[in-house]
Amino acid sequence: MNLVGQLAPYETEVAGAPNAEFTVAPPSVEDAARILDLACERGLRVLTWGGGTHQGYGYGVDPDVVLSTHRLDRLIDWSPDDLVAVVEAGVKVSTLEERLAEKGQSAILSEIPGGATVGGSIAAGISGWRRLRYGPIRDRILEATVATGDGRVIRAGGRVVKNATGYDIPRLMTGSLGSLGVIGSVALKLWPVALHAATVTVEDPTLALATAYRPIAVLETNSASAVYLSGTDEALDEQIASLDGTRADGHLWPDPLDHNTVLVMRVPSRHTAAAVTQVEDSWDFCAAHGVGEIRIGSNTASSDDANRLRQWAEAHNGALVVERLADDLRSGFDPWGTPPATAGLQRRVKDAFDPVGVCNPGKLPGGV
Amino acid sequence: MTLTAELVDLLGTARVLDHPLRRHVYGKDGGVTRGDVELVCLPDTTSEVVEIVRIARRHGLPVIPRGAGTGLAGGAVPLGPAVMIVLTRMDRIEDVDVESKTAWVGPGVINLELSQHTHRHGLHYAPDPSSQSTCTVGGNVATNAGGLHCLAEGTTVAHVLAVEMVTADGEVVTLGGEAPDPIGLDLRAVAVGSEGTLGVVTRVLVRLTENAPASQTLLLAFDDIENAAATVSAIISEGIVPGALEMMDRVTVEAVENYVHAGFPTEAAAVLLAEIVGTSAGVAAEANRVASIARANGAIDVEIASSPAQAALWWKGRKSAFGAVAQAAPDYYLHDTVVPRTKLVEVLRAVYAIGRKYDLLMMNVFHAGDGNLHPLMAYDSAQPGVLDRVHAAAEEIVRASIAAGGALSGEHGIGIEKRDLMGLTFGPVDLDAQARLREAFDPEQVFNPGKVLPEGSRCFDYGRPPVGAEA
Ligand SMILES: Cc1cc2nc3c(=O)[nH]c(=O)nc-3n(C[C@H](O)[C@H](O)[C@H](O)COP(=O)(O)OP(=O)(O)OC[C@H]3O[C@@H](n4cnc5c(N)ncnc54)[C@H](O)[C@@H]3O)c2cc1C
Repeated sequence: MNLVGQLAPYETEVAGAPNAEFTVAPPSVEDAARILDLACERGLRVLTWGGGTHQGYGYGVDPDVVLSTHRLDRLIDWSPDDLVAVVEAGVKVSTLEERLAEKGQSAILSEIPGGATVGGSIAAGISGWRRLRYGPIRDRILEATVATGDGRVIRAGGRVVKNATGYDIPRLMTGSLGSLGVIGSVALKLWPVALHAATVTVEDPTLALATAYRPIAVLETNSASAVYLSGTDEALDEQIASLDGTRADGHLWPDPLDHNTVLVMRVPSRHTAAAVTQVEDSWDFCAAHGVGEIRIGSNTASSDDANRLRQWAEAHNGALVVERLADDLRSGFDPWGTPPATAGLQRRVKDAFDPVGVCNPGKLPGGV
Repeated sequence: MTLTAELVDLLGTARVLDHPLRRHVYGKDGGVTRGDVELVCLPDTTSEVVEIVRIARRHGLPVIPRGAGTGLAGGAVPLGPAVMIVLTRMDRIEDVDVESKTAWVGPGVINLELSQHTHRHGLHYAPDPSSQSTCTVGGNVATNAGGLHCLAEGTTVAHVLAVEMVTADGEVVTLGGEAPDPIGLDLRAVAVGSEGTLGVVTRVLVRLTENAPASQTLLLAFDDIENAAATVSAIISEGIVPGALEMMDRVTVEAVENYVHAGFPTEAAAVLLAEIVGTSAGVAAEANRVASIARANGAIDVEIASSPAQAALWWKGRKSAFGAVAQAAPDYYLHDTVVPRTKLVEVLRAVYAIGRKYDLLMMNVFHAGDGNLHPLMAYDSAQPGVLDRVHAAAEEIVRASIAAGGALSGEHGIGIEKRDLMGLTFGPVDLDAQARLREAFDPEQVFNPGKVLPEGSRCFDYGRPPVGAEA
């Protein structure tokens, strides 16, 4: 059978995805593996597409095949007493979190996910604002089932909250930006949501971070700084009394940045306040104190501005990555900056999963 | 030059051990297997490690990294002629970055000493294996060690931001970094838990955790294990994640009580120790909730520690459990499997039945909150044939855990102990992927050959050959 015939059963349309010769949506991870196998045979470039909310990272891929995960949409298993859910990659973060909330649980994914999928959030390594307290997203990926670049279905990790059985492939998948294969499903470690939550507006985020005991987040934006807390009523009252701020109930997260260009500075957390001083007055930002992530949105930034920020970040042992880039910044500004010294090793690791190089080829730093 | 001469040239005679007696000491770890060590090197610096790796390779010998040798899976036990690199002398704690709450440390730093060192800054290193007063941070990284406080804090991998590693080519690479999410693939995550098979870890950037302003310990006693397990689940499903939640069965409680006199109720079938941490009012409120949950689930005794000294004594009791076993028998095999929390009772019953079947004293003291079981079999190795029974029972425990949806190891790793059981959870394609990943780091198996993955894992029948490879 010819390629068109072989891919016909998977043919689909995806709004917002780039034009490609084939746009397909496998209904299972085995089907995803079949498609990747065909891609290997024909030397096709495959771009994996989740919700399309975080496709802006890294070097562009001009795909022959867009592989959408939207048919991988099942919640396979959820054991509330074990705090573990097994979910397919194409499930929307918002759908999953709504379900989990029915029993007071959360996978601690993005607070305002838009159309993001679980698989896409993992592939892009989106940890959300609550990272200060709950750690990065990779710490919640217990098991992964993946269609590798060469068309095999592999499973690694396990459906238990703690595991020292073999190499940690689930964490390796986190942040791999679709370069190793297609994540089919994952087991996620869940957290119980504390009964009470509060957002406390404060003057000085650095001081607040030092004062509060392990807050959920300390965020600073152009307009205000706030400490996010949760716990028992007693714990909240006690913490708030020590903070000298204004309390609001619940967690009031900042609006997502909807600018043409969104850049993310990642620096050692002690440099967070200094990084904020690098942001021009006319730009919007949100800085996660204690984490070292500063998200910056601008409709006017030039490539010189972006390069200046990157220089500063790299000089402080950090990086500046692109989440979204306005067209006029595409020349004169590299999406990644200085590649890691381990690019050679990264290349060999990619080859271990995707030897032919069909999965988002060249997307990672160093063109890996 | 001979191997020994080259190494002595590099390190001097004092740091190259080849006397049979010294080699014998390094032929075993905390587990039950023994191997023969060719030569032991004790480097002081990363560049010495690089040179040792190069020399070993020139002589065609593999390299076995070793920390304190407390590992229980035989990870640091050589399976054939090899050069062993012991990292205990690389034990410097470099500047603690109090603001970012991180520190670069040598792999030979003792786990507990790191927390003691950072105490003055109000910080500690969260993963706290029961062996923490002797095991090294490098060994912890290699095994992705867990501990009492991993329920709330996660295992080692959540507390290691970067590692410096000497690779098979004798290159020094840094995986991970100080800033969140360094760009590119997260190779740091692969290095953690790789059991010395990918390289020698020569420096570690650890994440430190704030000491809690307040804590409270509860002792909850039950007349059957089922109620204790139900309490564990109920606490967590009420939205409380205690700092630690540990269970001891009757045999363990009796042994510990004789040994430490911690005031444990020896008539109970199971004792839970729960530690609540946080701010003082918050801790008091949560401790009361835990107490009422326990009562509602049939606890026969609920005590809240009346003083920090009492809490410390209870925890000392918990941590001495393995030492206390010596009263029962001279040797023990400490097992490690993990199951979904809701399957604890089912698997515990199976574990006791296996103990009866093989006529072995089975004690259970474990990380209940994580579903991480540590059945301990006490025996006397002087008894003929007893080790065969121990090994057979150990394998059955693994099978029972896997059947309940669990995993081979929660924190001790695979090493050689469980290497040949990997096929119980992973299929050939899964193992092949793991083997390829290892190959990307160490194609010639210079480091710890024969560990973790069973022979034949790398199967060229799967997938496609790399670009440019011969068909
Ligand atoms: C009584 C007792 C209680 C224990 N309790 C726990 C517990 O609660 N939780 C837990 O997780 N473990 C526990 N353990 C197991 C053991 O202490 C841990 O596995 C520990 O992490 C091993 O550290 P080590 O320095 O002794 O390493 P070793 O035993 O020397 O080595 C372990 C493995 O790490 C590799 N390795 C060591 N150093 C390096 C390095 N620098 N670079 C690369 N590879 C290296 C070795 O090759 C080997 O594969 C316990 C052990 C005992 C004896």
